Amino acid sequence: MRRRAVYILSCALLGGGIWQLSGATYIHAKAGLAQVMLRAAWGQSLADGPPRPPWPGADTWPVARLRIVSAKIDALVLANASGHALAFGPTHVAGSADPGAAGNSIIIAHRDTHFRFLGYLNPGDRITVQTRDGIEHRFAVTAAYVADSRTTLIEDETPRPRLTLVTCYPFDAIQPGGPLRYIVEADLVNGFGNSIGTEMAAVRPDIL
Amino acid sequence: MLQCGAFETLLIYSSYAMQKPHFSTASCVAVVLVVLTVLTSSVRAQAESSDTVVPEQMGHGALLLRTDQTGRYREATALSTNVEMRVTGLIASVTVTQSFTNQSNDWLEGIYVFPLPDDAAVHGLTMRIGKRTIKGLVKPRNQAKRQYQQAKKSGKRASLVEQERPNMFTTSVANIGPGTKIDIEIDYQQTVVYADGEFRLRFPMVVGPRYIPGRPVAASNQSGTGWAYDTDQVTDASRITPPVRDPRQGPTNRVTLRAEVDAGFAVAEIDSPYHAVQIKRKRDHRFVVKLDSTTYADRDFELSWIPTIGHAPRAALFTETVDGEHYALVLVMPPNPDASERSGPLPRETVFVIDTSGSMAGDSLRQAKAGLQFALDRLTARDTFNVIQFSSTTRQLFQQSQPATADAIRRAKHYVTGLRANGGTKIAAALRASLNGGKHSGRLRQVFFLTDGSVGNEPQLFELIQSRLGDSRLFTIGIGSAPNAYFMSRAARFGRGTFTFIGKLDEVTDKMQSLFAKLEQPLLADIDIDWPDGLPVEATPNVLPDLYHGEPVTIVAKLPQPPAQIDVSGRRRHQPWRFTVDAMHGKTQTGIGRLWARRTIRALLEQPGSSSDDKILLQERVVDLALRHQLVTRYTSLVTVDVTPVRPRDRRIRSHPLATNLPKGWSYKHVFGALPATATDSRLLIIYGLIFVILSCVGFWMARNRA
Repeated sequence: MRRRAVYILSCALLGGGIWQLSGATYIHAKAGLAQVMLRAAWGQSLADGPPRPPWPGADTWPVARLRIVSAKIDALVLANASGHALAFGPTHVAGSADPGAAGNSIIIAHRDTHFRFLGYLNPGDRITVQTRDGIEHRFAVTAAYVADSRTTLIEDETPRPRLTLVTCYPFDAIQPGGPLRYIVEADLVNGFGNSIGTEMAAVRPDIL
Repeated sequence: MLQCGAFETLLIYSSYAMQKPHFSTASCVAVVLVVLTVLTSSVRAQAESSDTVVPEQMGHGALLLRTDQTGRYREATALSTNVEMRVTGLIASVTVTQSFTNQSNDWLEGIYVFPLPDDAAVHGLTMRIGKRTIKGLVKPRNQAKRQYQQAKKSGKRASLVEQERPNMFTTSVANIGPGTKIDIEIDYQQTVVYADGEFRLRFPMVVGPRYIPGRPVAASNQSGTGWAYDTDQVTDASRITPPVRDPRQGPTNRVTLRAEVDAGFAVAEIDSPYHAVQIKRKRDHRFVVKLDSTTYADRDFELSWIPTIGHAPRAALFTETVDGEHYALVLVMPPNPDASERSGPLPRETVFVIDTSGSMAGDSLRQAKAGLQFALDRLTARDTFNVIQFSSTTRQLFQQSQPATADAIRRAKHYVTGLRANGGTKIAAALRASLNGGKHSGRLRQVFFLTDGSVGNEPQLFELIQSRLGDSRLFTIGIGSAPNAYFMSRAARFGRGTFTFIGKLDEVTDKMQSLFAKLEQPLLADIDIDWPDGLPVEATPNVLPDLYHGEPVTIVAKLPQPPAQIDVSGRRRHQPWRFTVDAMHGKTQTGIGRLWARRTIRALLEQPGSSSDDKILLQERVVDLALRHQLVTRYTSLVTVDVTPVRPRDRRIRSHPLATNLPKGWSYKHVFGALPATATDSRLLIIYGLIFVILSCVGFWMARNRA
């Protein structure tokens, strides 16, 4: 009898374990697969202009392509920062500037999927962001720091076009929902046909 | 935190179970129980009692006290509010009592930012410690502040009431001893609004988080203790942004309220649209209203009463004599519009501006959308219209206003349905887009602004409205449970329009309907008051706005002798219109003098001060008036100081900014959502998954061994 009880219990535990593990797998699979589908939508959107939902019924669409050669990163950035869109890719915060435009452009992503690499970026590292008009804007990392989301304000009007990447901190925390954030700031160094960008290049030769 | 604790328990327990040579069903059951505990603990952590918190939940820097429960804390200062209102005729005198209770072992200073009606004349302060009471005095602001700081330093109990905005005040209480309670009683007076045949009285309860534009100044130079840094555009940002409580902590600041109303006429209906109340009718047109037991300060209170048909007053005159000075309050209701006035309004150009900033997320945006949909339906083909939305950026539906064809309206409705709330409240750009300063002959140009007005840079916006109004009219429609009524009523006054407040979804139709009905055209224009011959009169307001249907003319004046009769004249359509108020029927009432002073101060402060000399002169006049009538203004504060020091010299005092509730219906995530949460629970899932699998292996192994 006892043996049977232990056996049933073990089965239940095994089932529970698989359930939990598949939950984790699902999160990562969704994050990976979505990027593949986004890539197709991005190609079409670049070719014929209007934003395209990556799959039927999606409430978001790719607005930019983020590439960091040094970290081997190539990800598509989604519109409209909702928790929902975050599952599929880095998300551009609505209301912040467009990448490469005057002001601060804020992109956020999960620390355990798309922005895992953020901690490895160093000042001087190059980030390329391609917007829907096909233009590639090049940024250089100027600062990386940890901030408390309850007390930190992110500027939305910066003197030069800025890209701010945000994710949760610490990277390896088990429990989600902590108050700390890891923030990487990068300033525009060269935007093709972007007058502010060329001016910038003249002002700051040190980071070109 | 709690979760980690349970984790350890789990690990210890399972290793114990493995060491034991005789594995029993009982221990199996125990393991299962522990596992279940782990799974449910995270849920329980959120549902724990509301007067204690875990530090991670604190959305603000507050003093926390350890409690008996491990890992749970309590806020150091508890606050509750009691409101007593006495209404006679058109004037309400109100006493607000704020009780600060120190639950810690430290000596504390409590700082609380709270709202009052934007026409509140704050004139009294009493500090109550046990049975002792100390009365406060109005002094110039700097002097009051110095006196308070000195008392705080020397260990004396003291309190200070300062005005941040006409509708936002701060109470500071110094040296609240461990375990003691200090009551702060604030007396103010406000006027009852009479419009559309209804009397209305508002009591705001919570300061909503404001949008603060501009560049932050150095962190060391902050003027206050709020969540925002001072900026070049809002130099007192840190004073007007009290910490906001995370709604998961449960509400704070319990409110009790009692209003005693002497209406002066037979009352048909009494209503409190946003709160559950008990109403008791008494003799002689009097009634008493009480708030139901557990109410927290998270939305504005409103009380309205309607006269029985035929008893609605058409004119009223109240007088008061203080220190040999005579004051009069005159109210005249214009006649109802006749058939010719109802038909054939001028063609209109209507511009709707809707706020889609983060503070509008939730109920507010739903209300605004419903209001807008309703308004779109009222447009006729003769009208032209446009829809503008703003948050951090401004977008408009059409490049230019379009004729309101069925197709255009369909497009507009579709556009409105798709609006989402996100981002900052950059009203300035929206004002620039909707007001162009031009003349529009043959058309009434009306701009409707649907917003909660949660901004901190009011003065710049008022300037903008004044300079760009042209012959347009600006109508503000306040949305949500706690809109910034000061900003919106004043913006409407500068915009020569009106302010309408919509507090909940099912009011939208009614309020928009009455607004639109009366907007078809003004009923009375060029209104003037003829005072008895040769009397030098200081009246306020000195320029009267156009009147729409259902709105009375109200005027407060200071006169050298009581008036015998007062003539009100104006232009109704193209005919002259006249009304005479006979002073013989006037009643005396206290508070008219104070009301006159409050309104005169407001008029002085609204004058555009050209040079800095003018401004200093203006300030002197305001201070002079405020001291004479004992009123709190931008330049004067109320202060009380106890005589004897109570705090031992060797004990330090700590400041504790008190948190306010988030206004009801607001969404916390959107207001403080600049940095969204960016972690999944995938790690947690992996760890749970692995533990379960290992445990099951152990189980299988043991089951086999027994066989």
